[in-house]
This record gives sequence, C-alpha cells and structure tokens, in this order.
Amino acid sequence: MAYAQPLKLTLLVPLEDEMKNTSQSVIKVEQLSKTYGKGENAVKAIKECSFEIFKGETVALLGPSGSGKTTLITMIGCITEPTHGKLTLDGELIYDQKWRISDTRQLRREKIGFIFQSHNLIPFLNVEENITLVPLMNQTNHLIARKKAKELLDYLGVGDKLSAKPSQLSGGQSQRVAIARSLANNPKIILADEPTAALDGERALSVMHLLKKLASEQNVAIVVVTHDERMIPLFDRILRVNDGIVSEETKQTP
Amino acid sequence: MINLAQRDITHSLGKFLTTAAGVGMLLGVVLIMIGVYRGLVDDANILLKDTRADLWIVQKDTLGPFAESSRIHEDVKNQIKAFNGVKDVSAVTFQSLQLYRNNQAIRVFAMGYDVGSFYTPHLLIEGRPLIAEHFEIIVDKKTGFKLHETIFIGRDIFTVVGITKDAVSSSGDLMVYFSLPDAQKLQFLSSNEQIRNDRARGNKDTSTTTANAIIATLYKGVNGSQLAHEIEQWKHVKVFTQEEQSTILTKNLIERSSKQIGMFTVILLLVASVIISLIIYTMTMGKIKEIAILKLIGASNAVIVKMIVQQSVLLGVLAFLAANLFSHTLVDLFPKRTILISSDALMLLVIVTIVSVLGSLFGVRSALKIDPASAIGG
Repeated sequence: MAYAQPLKLTLLVPLEDEMKNTSQSVIKVEQLSKTYGKGENAVKAIKECSFEIFKGETVALLGPSGSGKTTLITMIGCITEPTHGKLTLDGELIYDQKWRISDTRQLRREKIGFIFQSHNLIPFLNVEENITLVPLMNQTNHLIARKKAKELLDYLGVGDKLSAKPSQLSGGQSQRVAIARSLANNPKIILADEPTAALDGERALSVMHLLKKLASEQNVAIVVVTHDERMIPLFDRILRVNDGIVSEETKQTP
Repeated sequence: MINLAQRDITHSLGKFLTTAAGVGMLLGVVLIMIGVYRGLVDDANILLKDTRADLWIVQKDTLGPFAESSRIHEDVKNQIKAFNGVKDVSAVTFQSLQLYRNNQAIRVFAMGYDVGSFYTPHLLIEGRPLIAEHFEIIVDKKTGFKLHETIFIGRDIFTVVGITKDAVSSSGDLMVYFSLPDAQKLQFLSSNEQIRNDRARGNKDTSTTTANAIIATLYKGVNGSQLAHEIEQWKHVKVFTQEEQSTILTKNLIERSSKQIGMFTVILLLVASVIISLIIYTMTMGKIKEIAILKLIGASNAVIVKMIVQQSVLLGVLAFLAANLFSHTLVDLFPKRTILISSDALMLLVIVTIVSVLGSLFGVRSALKIDPASAIGG
C-alpha cells in the first residue's frame, strides 16, 4: 500500500500566506434551517443551526442516519438551498434567505472540493482527466492543470496511476484519486461524505491521516461526515447532528 | 477542455458502435424502402420513356395496353402514318411470358415492334438491335441469358442478339424484345388443335396481324394533343400523348402501390425516429450518476448538454453511414429494382440529425433535472 509522501507542491499549491491565517473563518453558518415539504407534511431536516469552521480545521459531522448530516453538508456545499438563515463561505455571503450568488456551480468549482463515500470518479475519464476536469472548467491552462494533477497524485502516492481508468484502481487508490480531484481546484473547503466507509480499517485510517495532513499543510477546512467513532480523535472539532439540531461536542483529551 | 462525449464513447466503444450499427440497419431498411418506392415509380416509366413515342394509338374506349386490354389492327399504322405531322410509326405488342433457363422459370414482359421502324430498345448495352424479321430476341441482363444463346419459346428457337440493362415493365418484370411478327405469332397464333377446333366452329380467321397499340413519333413543332384529337375524329381509335400515357401508368396503375410503399416508408421512418430518440434517452439515463457528479463538482449545464448532444449527433451520423453501407450492400439482392439516390440519403441524414438532436433534448431535459445531491452517499 502506498502512503502519502511529504507535500512538495511548491509551484502550484499556495501555502505560506494561508498558513498564517488559520483563525480565519471559512464557513459561517447562522441560524441555517432546511425544511422539506410544506404544511402538515413539512419535515424540518436542519433546525436553525449556527457554527463556524476555520481554515486548516478538520471537523467531524457525526450523527445517526437520518439526523440531517447530508442535508447540512449539501447546504454548505451550495447544492441544496436552505430554507432560512445565512451562509458565508470564504468571507462571501452566499445565502441570506435566498442565494446571494448567481452561479452556485461556479462557486463549487472554485472553492469547494468534494470527496464521496464511493469515490465517484467519472468512469470514462482516466485518473489525470478526472483530476484536471475541474481546473480546466475553471479555464486553468491545460499544462498547468496536468502538472498539478501529477504533483497531487505523487503526493498521494498514486503517481503511477495517471493514465489508469478508475476501474483499474483498488478502493484505496480510487479514494486517493478522489482526494486529489478534490484538491485540484485549490479549494478553501473540502466536504467529505463518509470517505472511509468503503475502505477497510487500515486504509480508512490512512485516508483520515491524509485528510488531516492536507488540512494542516494545505490550510484547507475539511468537513467529514462519518459514522466511524474510531476516527474521532483525528478531528480538531466534532459537530454532532441529532434530529436536525447541530451541537458542538467537546473533544475528550486522551 | 476535455471532450466528455468522445471520452465516454471511447470508454464503451463496442457498445456505441453496436448501437450505431443497429440503428443503422433500421435506417438502412428505411433507405431501401425509399429505394423500392423510387424503383416502382421509375419502372413504371422506363418502357414508356424507352419508346420515345409522341403518340399512343390504342383500341377505342380503352386506356391502352398497360392499363387495359387493347387490340388494334396492325395496318392502322399505315393510316396513322398518312396523317400530316406523323414522322414514323410502329405497331407494338406486349405480353407476359415465362422463359426457362436451366429449368428455372423467368417471368418476362415481351414487347414486339416493327424492326426498321423508329423504335429500338435504347437500353441496349451489348450486342445489336433486331435486324431479322424472325427468331431474334433481345433480353435483359438480369434474365441471365448470354449473347448468342438460344431460347426455345412457343414453337420456335430464338437467338439472343442483344442485351439490355435495367429494362423492366411497369410491373417490374424484365423486358425481352421480339420482332413484331414473332411477337404476334406468340400472342395471337393458336395451336394447330385450336385452329382445327375454331374451323369446326366456323371461325376461319387465323390471322395474327393484330397489335396492342401503334406508337408514333411526330415532326418537331407538331402539337401532339391536337393531332391526337384529329386522329380520334377520323379513326375508331383512342389516342394518348406520351404524357397522358405516363399519367395513366403512374396515377392509375401504380398510385396505390406507391402510396402503400410510401406509407410504409413514412411509418418506418417514424418508428426509426422513436427508436433513435429512446436509445439516446436511455444512453443519457445510463449516465445519471456521472451527470450528478459532474453537476456536483461544478460542471455547467452547457458542458453536460454538449456531451449529450455531441454523442447523439455522432450516433445519428454513424448510424446514417451504417445505413448507407447496409442498404448499398443489400440493394442488388432485391428481385425488383431498388433505386438508392444521394438526395434521398441526404434527406435521411437531415432527418436523422434533427431526430438525434430532438431525441437528445429529452435526455438533456432529464439530465438537467438530475439532483447533484444524488451523487452524495452510497
């Protein structure tokens, strides 16, 4: 199994300036609510939650199935429109009773990276194309995008899989490529939905260590939806979602 | 920017090509049906065009030999030739015959004409026109007879002196040509037993000097309709101009058949369009997850629409190419003439492109409705 190598993205991944701003808020959620349906059938999935996440932080979103974790992560990821409240991403007010930006997809392309439970790589693109797709949609120069893809893959220990198709990768390799894809657009936030669910214990731990490392080295806020209580010690903060209510859990010091 | 359509096609090339080939075969059938229709209409006029006659003089109160039974005395041709403006005439006969080659029956349509008159089969590609008054025959290439081969017909043996190509009757039967006397003999001469029987009944006329029609060419500048009217006033005959005879053939004789084939072609085209649309829709729906991921990672609608439309149009174009390959490969296997013309193929390409784009719109509509959130979880 390949393990992460020290990051050497000197050319392409901004580091130094951002390292100094770890206390800067990247996600600010204020009284955010989401209600599905109307009238008697209305279901309040998220109930007026408020929290802030800062640069370089790793935050676990814990909670039982149906508690509202996915709804919360899709609202932060500008996929699901909230019903009420305010959402600020990277200092920009995104939602205040309605979307305050015209193109949520552009915001996702430019500021958010996603990691999914089952890697969700595009099967008809090879590893390099999966990674360069978003930067190229952002009009990044083709050569620069490719160079960065190579650097990311090397960093994540799957540099030899550049031309491979997702179907030729193991579960762990696929998840590493998915992580590389989420980093390709220099995001401010990475939203991960149970990224270790499809991996065995060792590989899951390896991926979580990697995310933790990325958060500190890349100065990116990482929010991870997880069921796996074993991973909790690895996170800086824990947000527990229960029946739509989000509360911050005090972390036990070992 | 990465061409997603091309990458997706390359990823499942075999499936894509098989689908295109399948749709192509369906479109090939459409092309062949159009060809059959064209063949039917064209066949109806081949014989008529080949005569290059200006007037058709037929039995009074009939529509002529192609539509009804028509008998006229052969010597009427001499009276017709005497009309001012008539350049040349020929008595003609038409009849269906069954020839045999290697014990295989070949159905043909025989035309008899005055050797030495203005008429000669213009579709001759090998050999020569009829010269002798007897025992010479011109056959179409598709009959399989070769030049100088002898054929036993009726009571006589005929030698093939000429070969035509694509000479067919209005019903699509292959044409053969005899001299008028031979054709008359084949059509009107009874067997010896029949003659004896007729004589016993008091019918002593065994003459074969009957024709089915007289065809005439006119001098340049002569008004055919006017002359036809004039001939009808003087003679107990019916006279049609070439245009009228063509109308009888296309409108009266093959109209229903051509409409039948035309209707079938239109229905086939509609079915093909629905199938293409469904295939494109299914193709798009097969990529729901990929589209959801694309939307989630920020791909614009334009990127997704471009991918679907490009694939659809490419499928349509490949299917069109396969259709042409399929139809041109099979066209010669059809017993009747099937005419594939480029304008029909071009029309089909336009229709297929429109159908592909329209078909892709259903897929696009559904793709744009896909919730990117569906990519999250399991």
